[in-house]
Amino acid sequence: MDVDFALTAFLTGWLAATVRLAGPLLLAALGELFAERAGVLNIGIEGVMLLGALVAWWAAWSTGSLWLGMLGGMAAGLTAGGFLGFMYVTAQASQVVVGVIFNIFALGLASYAYRLILGGASGAQTAVMFSVLPIPVLSEIPFLGPILFRHTPLVYLTALAAAVAWFVLRRTAFGLNLRAVGENPRAADTAGLDVTAYRYAGVLISCVAAGAAGAYLVLAQVGQFRETVVSGQGFIALAIVIFGRWDPLRATIAALIFGAADALQLTLQIFTSGVPPQLLLALPYLVTILAMSGLIGKADQPESLMVPYSRE
Amino acid sequence: MTPFLSARGIVKRFPGVLANDHVDFDVRSGEIHALLGENGAGKSTLMQIVYGLYGRDAGEILIEGRPLDLRSTRDAIAAGIGMIHQEFMLVRRFSVTENVVLGLKAGGGLRPLDLAGPAREIAELSRRYGLQVDPSARIEHLPVGTQQRVEILKLLYRKAKLLILDEPTAVLTPGEAEALLKVLRTLADQGHAVVIVTHKLHEIMAAADRVTIMRDGRVVGSVKTAGSSEAELARLMVGREVALTARRSTRPAGPSVLRVENLTVGDDQGRRALDGLSLDLREGEILGLAGVDGNGQSELAQALTGLRAAAGGRVLLGARDLTRASPADRRSAGVAYVPADRRHVGSVGALSIAENAILGDQRAYARFGLLDRRRSRSFAAELMERFDIRPRKPEYPAGKLSGGNLQKVQLGRAIASDPRALIVEQPTRGLDVGAVEAVWAELLRLREAGKAILLISAELEEILNLSDRVAVIYEGRIMGEMSAAEADLRRIGLMMAGSHGEEVGHADP
Repeated sequence: MDVDFALTAFLTGWLAATVRLAGPLLLAALGELFAERAGVLNIGIEGVMLLGALVAWWAAWSTGSLWLGMLGGMAAGLTAGGFLGFMYVTAQASQVVVGVIFNIFALGLASYAYRLILGGASGAQTAVMFSVLPIPVLSEIPFLGPILFRHTPLVYLTALAAAVAWFVLRRTAFGLNLRAVGENPRAADTAGLDVTAYRYAGVLISCVAAGAAGAYLVLAQVGQFRETVVSGQGFIALAIVIFGRWDPLRATIAALIFGAADALQLTLQIFTSGVPPQLLLALPYLVTILAMSGLIGKADQPESLMVPYSRE
Repeated sequence: MTPFLSARGIVKRFPGVLANDHVDFDVRSGEIHALLGENGAGKSTLMQIVYGLYGRDAGEILIEGRPLDLRSTRDAIAAGIGMIHQEFMLVRRFSVTENVVLGLKAGGGLRPLDLAGPAREIAELSRRYGLQVDPSARIEHLPVGTQQRVEILKLLYRKAKLLILDEPTAVLTPGEAEALLKVLRTLADQGHAVVIVTHKLHEIMAAADRVTIMRDGRVVGSVKTAGSSEAELARLMVGREVALTARRSTRPAGPSVLRVENLTVGDDQGRRALDGLSLDLREGEILGLAGVDGNGQSELAQALTGLRAAAGGRVLLGARDLTRASPADRRSAGVAYVPADRRHVGSVGALSIAENAILGDQRAYARFGLLDRRRSRSFAAELMERFDIRPRKPEYPAGKLSGGNLQKVQLGRAIASDPRALIVEQPTRGLDVGAVEAVWAELLRLREAGKAILLISAELEEILNLSDRVAVIYEGRIMGEMSAAEADLRRIGLMMAGSHGEEVGHADP
């Protein structure tokens, strides 16, 4: 076989898979960015993604509509967000404890509900899935075309979401207010901003995005619901926020790097190499632990992250 | 002339306290009006009511003679009332412009935000009132005095006609304070009404046109400063004659007790908080360490007491090197410490007075690992008798004590250990005049008893009144040292701003 051809095929396959796999990670990370910028560390997105995946699968499987599936995932996220927002903001519970426990609860709930829905049906039930929508002209560009422009609509929408997130956070009054609440809630309160409302907004945005990311996994990558469909990708999204230093554009780059690591082990399985794929599979999680340990990014972290606010 | 703002018959009750008891208060456009009173006199409550932060139980507020329906700060701001709190309400990572416009679109809005227009307006306001603020600067890069002027800009941008400043000079160097008072005068000259809430009498005499004095929730007087004196104001404020000048000892200081040599210490962010600092603390003297908060004072106290590791240099008690000693070892060697934060560092709020009184010496009060409660209670009772700590109940939780009483517990505990050197940090911060008198008297008694005392304080008045020697700290270094006789406000002020105090020049950086 021609070496150049093999290399190009490997690179194209790898990088296209990178973009594909980065999508849900980025979507969840973008939402999380809003929560953290408002001062709430929402660790619960892992569980929210799972609930989103379940409801999206159920809605798409029973109605046959992809977009109803996506909507279902987001609605699940919104519901979970209402609960988490209450715990984080109103009850002012420890954000880490609530998030971690919620993830465990979500796993139990999703498994139970899945069995309930399936009832007597045997085997996994496959939902409809998004098909690839090549962008005319652009997808024909050699090398870049297949990497960037031959994807499901969800990839393009996620890219658009990153740009919108950047604009909203950086250029609008809503973004300025939200960031002020996460940096110095007292100052924001004194300036007449409703700290509680902005923090709820951050949590709800993160949960809807996480629900959508869960739906994304089912509707564009797996086609079925499994308890392992999320398996830590919510946590990776948390790491992406840190590596992206709480900025949507830098988070996009971080998501691509995590996507690349994930894609590499998939691609290497096809191309066979000496490296055990399990080792590569573990790599992103190892990096995530590093990111979450607080060794990285402290300087850019919103100053009131994880600090509940009350007037006195 | 109708006053810009009149408060008539304001009554405010808190559970168990009548904070404002039919208070009348007027402020006119074009004047600087001082509101004077001890802690708990009700002056802050009154201002919070005027600014819409608290509701009132009775009374009305008039703006230019017309009643104002005041329900929230929003109503106050709309009526032209603005307030600057002691703690600045700024987002450190935002620019000046972003801070100024923050909250004007409280509901959010997803359309592009125009910052260029406001930036121009802010620059114009800054020029007009001589504020010298760059709209594009980030707050975290600005000195405290400038941050305060950003707060003033926030109010001016919102078209405030009345500016209320709560203890505005507490965090400033004397030079910055003077500059601020000049700005306030400019504001008044241009038709604004200015209220400063303060307890610094000399400042009132220097800057205010009129002063209203409050005591126990009531207004006890409202006078023109021109016809008054510091002594009269002090008498009105406290309700009796006060002598807040301590007698200095004539006794010469003894041999050196605690020596600090070239001490270098990092702060929490890893920056250098102390940079080769040296001090010599002698027997039977009070060495006053003056300086604006945040120039390494806390780090010095922590390094001396073993709460913070030294990166270089030495700490010697007599001949003994304590540089690497643990806090417990230093205590038993004879270094006692009264920290600035008496609520969180100096005491455990949930524990009783008796338990707090023996904190650190628990082992001396234990038999076979069990605390002898009778002994700790009788020790606490003794302490409370001697220092007049109220309520006189050893089982009372320390967290519920007033600042003054809690400070006496701390001080009493430190003294009971019979230390050779005593480090006291901001010993009278937030205390009322009566408690200040008691703490000062106790420190002077200790000096007479031959203790070596390091007095770390941001209050120059305190430093000048108590110290035998004065050292000035600036950015982790000693800028200069002088005997009490040579110490004057101007020279110390210059050193606090980072100059060596010799040259006659600008106090502002």
